[in-house]
Amino acid sequence: MDLSELYQAIVTGNAKKAEEVTKAALAENVDPMELVQKYMIPAMDEVGKRFECNEYFVPELLIAARAMKTSLELITPLLVSRGAKPLGRIVIGTVQGDLHDIGKNLVASMLEGGGFQVIDLGVDVPPERFVEAAREQEGTIVAMSALLTTTMVMMEKVIKALEEAGIRDRTKVMVGGAPITQQYADQIGADGYSDNASGAVAVARKLVAVTAS
Amino acid sequence: MSIPGLTIIGESINDSVPSTKQLLDCGDIAGIVQLARQQDEAGAAYIDVNIGSRPPELMAELVGQIQRATAKPLAIDTPDYQTAQAGLKAYDPARAGGRKPILNSVTSLRTEMFELYRVQPFRPILLISEHVVEGRSQHCRTAAESLAAARYLLEAFRRVVPDAANDDVIFDPGIVPIGSDCENQLHRVMSVLETMHQDPMFAGTHRSVGLSNFTVMLPSKRRDGSPVKAPLESAFLTRAMPLGLDMIIGSVKRNYQLLPEGHPALECFDDCLKLSGFDVLMRVRQFYAG
Repeated sequence: MDLSELYQAIVTGNAKKAEEVTKAALAENVDPMELVQKYMIPAMDEVGKRFECNEYFVPELLIAARAMKTSLELITPLLVSRGAKPLGRIVIGTVQGDLHDIGKNLVASMLEGGGFQVIDLGVDVPPERFVEAAREQEGTIVAMSALLTTTMVMMEKVIKALEEAGIRDRTKVMVGGAPITQQYADQIGADGYSDNASGAVAVARKLVAVTAS
Repeated sequence: MSIPGLTIIGESINDSVPSTKQLLDCGDIAGIVQLARQQDEAGAAYIDVNIGSRPPELMAELVGQIQRATAKPLAIDTPDYQTAQAGLKAYDPARAGGRKPILNSVTSLRTEMFELYRVQPFRPILLISEHVVEGRSQHCRTAAESLAAARYLLEAFRRVVPDAANDDVIFDPGIVPIGSDCENQLHRVMSVLETMHQDPMFAGTHRSVGLSNFTVMLPSKRRDGSPVKAPLESAFLTRAMPLGLDMIIGSVKRNYQLLPEGHPALECFDDCLKLSGFDVLMRVRQFYAG
């Protein structure tokens, strides 16, 4: 069996093929962790690279993420039963007052494809819901999205709410969205910022590495 | 090139446009006024003014300065009550030939904006891509939800302005980027346009979309080097205008056209309406990369 077909299926967004190869591999007792680490995560990294050099655009990202997800759904139960841990836990949502979800969904898919456990709180998420979800596990990353200049101010309120709840020091915060800049992220005290979905995965990996060190 | 029957609200003065943001960040009022002038000369019927989250005083100042440079009416573009109030207060209809400004936009959760009619009569853009469920705003998933939002907003507007003419009312069904439309939002938009077009309650009202949103996140060129965005946006216009769409917030630089049957962009658009979920994305991708 040629497992590189799984890599190729994800890069080209062929969900049917990805499912087929994953099923066949699992039937032949290939280690599910090997599938994730050697083929699936590198495939999404490649998709991210192609996006960054304008070879891929949002449709390709979404199509690839769906292929990745198709395989992950087959593999995750096996990983869980073996006690394997994801790269990190991320609570993601669009801030209160903002219903835009395209960017947030894209980032969530890419993070999931990048090996993270993603808890998607949806849109119009009030600060207390971010806090509640972050409180459940130490080392959680809170990822916030906003498309409107009028709602981006909610990001700072979430950070303050994390502080008031006494869990800011054990929670990393990353932000993104059309009006957000690195300068704004720094200004509100966020730990990470990315202006695109593939960059968000790299930021999350850095934050996890910092937390672990 | 203009399409008869299509009113263009020039979109350039918007904080989400990087070059405009830079002008706003630098406080370059003259640069902003120049953008207004350019759009006026290029055929915009209205000039949209969006300052992001900057202070309401800036909106007031810009409205005054832009009105000194153009006789076109303005669209005050903000979800913030104070900013809208400042813009409407500063607006002088006499400088725009007596024409009212547009207020872009009012949602089911922001109907208090109608009270601003007392500050300055305006033409509201009523956003019907959102509706209120249990006191919170949610995306409309179906045409029926958008239609209900349209009825609700029109009635709410009439409660504040009982004698408002239908001609002053503009509905925006909220177009979504076709490159990420896995949830059949294009179906919802086309379907609600069609339903409203046939409903006597909405006779004489207008429909508008932020057309550039339709093609954001797509490449600018197809594999053969021809453009991607203008043809797809034109395909939308070709199908939506017969259903009553008569206004857009868009670019005066874009070459909008009504496309002939058989045009590849129109075929792509029609196919997308027949498809659903990720098949829509695959079809769009085929259009630009196939």
